[in-house]
Amino acid sequence: MAGFNDQALNETAAAQIKVWRDAEKKAESAGTKTVQKPYNYIPSLIALCVFFIVMLGAGIVLMGKSFSEFAKGFVIVFLIATLAYMFGGQAISRQYGFGAEAWGILLGMLIANTVGTPKWVLPACQVEFFIKTGLVLLGAEVLFGKILAIGIPGIFVAWVVTPIVLVCTYIFGQKILKIPSKSLNIVISADMSVCGTSAAIAVAAASRAKKEELTLAIGLSLVFTAIMMIALPAFIKAVGIPEILGGAWMGGTIDSTGAVAAAGAFLGQKAMYVAATIKMIQNVMIGVTAFCVAVYWCLRVDCTAGRTVGAGEIWLRFPKFVLGFLAASILFSLLDSNLSPGMADAILDQGVVRGGTKLLRDWFFALSFAAIGLSTNFRALTQYFKGGKPLILYACGQSLNLLLTLGMAYIMFYLVFPEITAKI
Amino acid sequence: MKKETSMLQNICNLMVSFSFCLIFVYIFLPYVTASVDILNRMSQQLESKDIDPTRYISTDVAQVKEAEDYFKTVFEDNRQARQ
Repeated sequence: MAGFNDQALNETAAAQIKVWRDAEKKAESAGTKTVQKPYNYIPSLIALCVFFIVMLGAGIVLMGKSFSEFAKGFVIVFLIATLAYMFGGQAISRQYGFGAEAWGILLGMLIANTVGTPKWVLPACQVEFFIKTGLVLLGAEVLFGKILAIGIPGIFVAWVVTPIVLVCTYIFGQKILKIPSKSLNIVISADMSVCGTSAAIAVAAASRAKKEELTLAIGLSLVFTAIMMIALPAFIKAVGIPEILGGAWMGGTIDSTGAVAAAGAFLGQKAMYVAATIKMIQNVMIGVTAFCVAVYWCLRVDCTAGRTVGAGEIWLRFPKFVLGFLAASILFSLLDSNLSPGMADAILDQGVVRGGTKLLRDWFFALSFAAIGLSTNFRALTQYFKGGKPLILYACGQSLNLLLTLGMAYIMFYLVFPEITAKI
Repeated sequence: MKKETSMLQNICNLMVSFSFCLIFVYIFLPYVTASVDILNRMSQQLESKDIDPTRYISTDVAQVKEAEDYFKTVFEDNRQARQ
């Protein structure tokens, strides 16, 4: 009932509300009649597969490889990725982090290590190509303006602790654990310190890591993320750490953004907001980390001892996708900062990202996970796990991460900028 | 000497391991979640807030945008109050 003093106005309002309610009901009943059945997806999936074959096939031809061989095998890779999306839809297992990505690798590996991946499928397992294409698209979602979202404390927690942990973990892996593969070492270090799967993918591509190394890093991240997502909020509650400090701690240490939001929600609304924002600021580091790793690999890791490398050779070796990623990130960051907030949200977030790059990026990563699984050998994977060194590296790095992040979050949110904490 | 396995044996292995994964994901995990009180409460909370822990990029998580808007409002309100 409208609360006007004039009865005529009340009656008009009531009549208009009734009209609106009837229209709403009509729209609702029309909506229920157009339920999307699973088989309705088949034609669009076929069209999507053809679209990918044409688009990626053009790239394959430019790389001097056979289009027909790629197209034949791609159908299977696409099918595995689609099945992974389907099985990964189980709501409960998603809550433990077991989604389409894990299913993609798992399904592919089951096939590869039992019946064996058919030889004609292997030309389509272009893991690097799918990952790099997906990463360039991801650049559009990494906006530098976001790093100021929670003020200076957020920058210190996410941008100061993270590189320290990354470098210390890498040095620990090389000097103390003596991990033979430098690329495995850096992928696990980035995976654990920056932001899980996305950082692992970017750094693996920048350091030219083997797919087994990426699989191992993602596997470790999935397991630790599931454990930390449940254990960390329980510990924070048990010990009585304040909500904001707890949120900042979880945001800086739990790997994936979704798990950070989940863990934050277990603590409370404010903890969730702080945790999600810290993780978002950390996400911005993906491109910078990939760039630094690529430069380090070109200058120090890939070169022969005692031999200086010329600028031309560095350019040849440098993974160009990093430049694509950074260019997309800088372009979209500039657009985002120059448009009004509402316009930026409508054009960039709801338009270009949600309507285009995000959908394609999701598929490229799903395809790469399926391709990784299809071309991964269990025996090769266990060789990388020898002596449990990757696990020790992850556990030690994460312990350092937990200590430093908690310390930095306390100093920043409670000693240096208590006024910001009070506002939150 | 490496023992060769037949195609039938390989298909059996695939089926067994695939079934194991399905049972783990579709039966075991939901059963454990429903049986253990704290897990059940956590699961319901995630469901009610529509949070998907498998998402690994911030643009995929709606709560990140929500948090961003929250901080914008909080800091803007404080700035206005000071003026």
